[in-house]
Amino acid sequence: MDLTFLALSTAMFVAGVVYSVLMLRRGGDSTPGWGNLIIIGIGFLFQCGFLSERGQLHGRCPIMNGAEVLVFVAWSLAIMYFVLGRAFRLSLVGAFTAPILATLSLGALALSLMIPAQAKVADAIDPWLEMHAAMSLLAYGAFGFAAIAAIMYLVQNHLLKSGKPGSLAFKLPPIRYLTDALVRLLAIGLLLLTVGVVSALFREKMPDVYHLIIFGMVWIAYAVLLVYFFWRRPSVRWLALGALIAFALALITLTAIQN
Amino acid sequence: MSIFCIGLNHKTAPVEIRERLAFAESQLPEQLEQIGELPAVAEVVILSTCNRVEIYGAAVESPAAALSEVQAYLVDHFDIADEAVEFYQQEGEAAAHHLFEVASGLDSMVLGETEIFGQVKKAYSTAHQSGATGRATNKLFQQSFTIGKLVRSNSAIQHGSTSIGSVAVDLAEKIFGDLKGSSVMIVGAGEMSRTTAQSMVSRGASSIIVSNRSYDKAVELAEELDGEALRFDDWEKALRKVDILISSTSAPHPIITRENLEPHMRRRRGRPLFLIDIAVPRDIADDVRQLDDAFPYNIDQLSEIAEAGKSKRLEQIAVCRELIAGHVGEKGIDALAQSSCSHQSPRQNSSTSSRQLPSKSS
Repeated sequence: MDLTFLALSTAMFVAGVVYSVLMLRRGGDSTPGWGNLIIIGIGFLFQCGFLSERGQLHGRCPIMNGAEVLVFVAWSLAIMYFVLGRAFRLSLVGAFTAPILATLSLGALALSLMIPAQAKVADAIDPWLEMHAAMSLLAYGAFGFAAIAAIMYLVQNHLLKSGKPGSLAFKLPPIRYLTDALVRLLAIGLLLLTVGVVSALFREKMPDVYHLIIFGMVWIAYAVLLVYFFWRRPSVRWLALGALIAFALALITLTAIQN
Repeated sequence: MSIFCIGLNHKTAPVEIRERLAFAESQLPEQLEQIGELPAVAEVVILSTCNRVEIYGAAVESPAAALSEVQAYLVDHFDIADEAVEFYQQEGEAAAHHLFEVASGLDSMVLGETEIFGQVKKAYSTAHQSGATGRATNKLFQQSFTIGKLVRSNSAIQHGSTSIGSVAVDLAEKIFGDLKGSSVMIVGAGEMSRTTAQSMVSRGASSIIVSNRSYDKAVELAEELDGEALRFDDWEKALRKVDILISSTSAPHPIITRENLEPHMRRRRGRPLFLIDIAVPRDIADDVRQLDDAFPYNIDQLSEIAEAGKSKRLEQIAVCRELIAGHVGEKGIDALAQSSCSHQSPRQNSSTSSRQLPSKSS
């Protein structure tokens, strides 16, 4: 049943990508805003189904293998999209979120098919471990959403600087909204990751050094990015590129999140 | 068909004629009453805007007689017997279609503009409140409102900017989001700079700085725009606090280059700067585009966007006409006309007193 949920959520996110492309190609005033919200919303419910099944299987937060970690990151990214997408007035953000969600879900689906989940039940639930895992993955969701804002910024910046902005520029959010969203999301992500890292220090069983180094590196990368931006005020393009590179590095280190 | 329309617009009459025939808003109820009292006229609505003067109505019997009487009234009332004024006249379906196109913005000077929809609504509301409308005009105008909304929500007729000023404002909003609180600097006090700055102010820009080689001219324009004048030698110093720079000097070479702008951009600490170059020869060098957070646009680029906007709107005319035809096909103008033909004029029901006209409204 868990794989059915995962396949259905993946199908919804892929549908979101197709729908976004079709709506954008239609031209005129058509934007995939509400349609995407509904499609991603349904995909999110299927994700909840998958995570619930796996949670019952493991008897703890379901991040026991690469597939579950990918789904959890996609799940927290979807939460960020629902909660902050409209609050930050980011029109068209669904069209940029759907491909990332689809990619993460397809990756998770492929991993799940290759390596079946095992009923690895935890001996006892450690609340600090659960806190560490949940906060870290929510932080990854915020960083993922910041990466989406960064891509949107770079696209809008390129279009507006080209002198021939075209209809896409008039559908994308303004440069200033994207800048604000990018900075706030990075700050939210860093705050969540700080809570996650600090929680890890209180675990009953100390995490291994490799795990701590990886999280420490991700934390330092984002902290340096934000501190340097506020201190020296380089261009926002620099921050956007930095947010993209940092998220790519964070994704590579995802394997460290298991356990 | 008893529906008729007579009038002139920006396509058929110059502004000198249109301004002579403009109906004063305060006198509309009285003029509606006068036209409504014409023997062949049963119902009337006057649409008077800066681009058109049109009288819609329903005839008691023959629309030709009503049109002739209304035209005679207009010639007499506005004293234009000696002028070569040509009114267009339409009857029945043609008149209804004309109103539908007017309400949809297809007959406007700026194709697809939305202001006309409100003006048609207001014209109808005034006539309705004066008791000058009846069953036929009520139905006709209600249909025009439905069609106006249908066309705007199902076509791209109002998308894209069509003038340099509106393109500049739209681009500014794509950079800053909200223009409220943003500051604009004009370098070179030309007419186009003035209108562009005014467009920015109309969308919320709050601070205007004007700098010009002739300081007196800068002061004059600053006063007009409720801004502040700056000596030409000092304009670069003010760059740090402005969001939008509109340049239109007559300098023979660029006055803003990457080299002289770069230190100012560093001091702006990542704040975007929108540079609008209206000058020919250009005031802003091409290499400014390479600076992060600087968004330069020259007159050709702005014109190109405006032209693309116009072309897109022109392409939409056929779509809009199909929408109108589709709606009319569903509802049927003929049905409307039939109902109006069988309609008895309120005047025929009422006493001879003109004050009885309000009973016309249904």
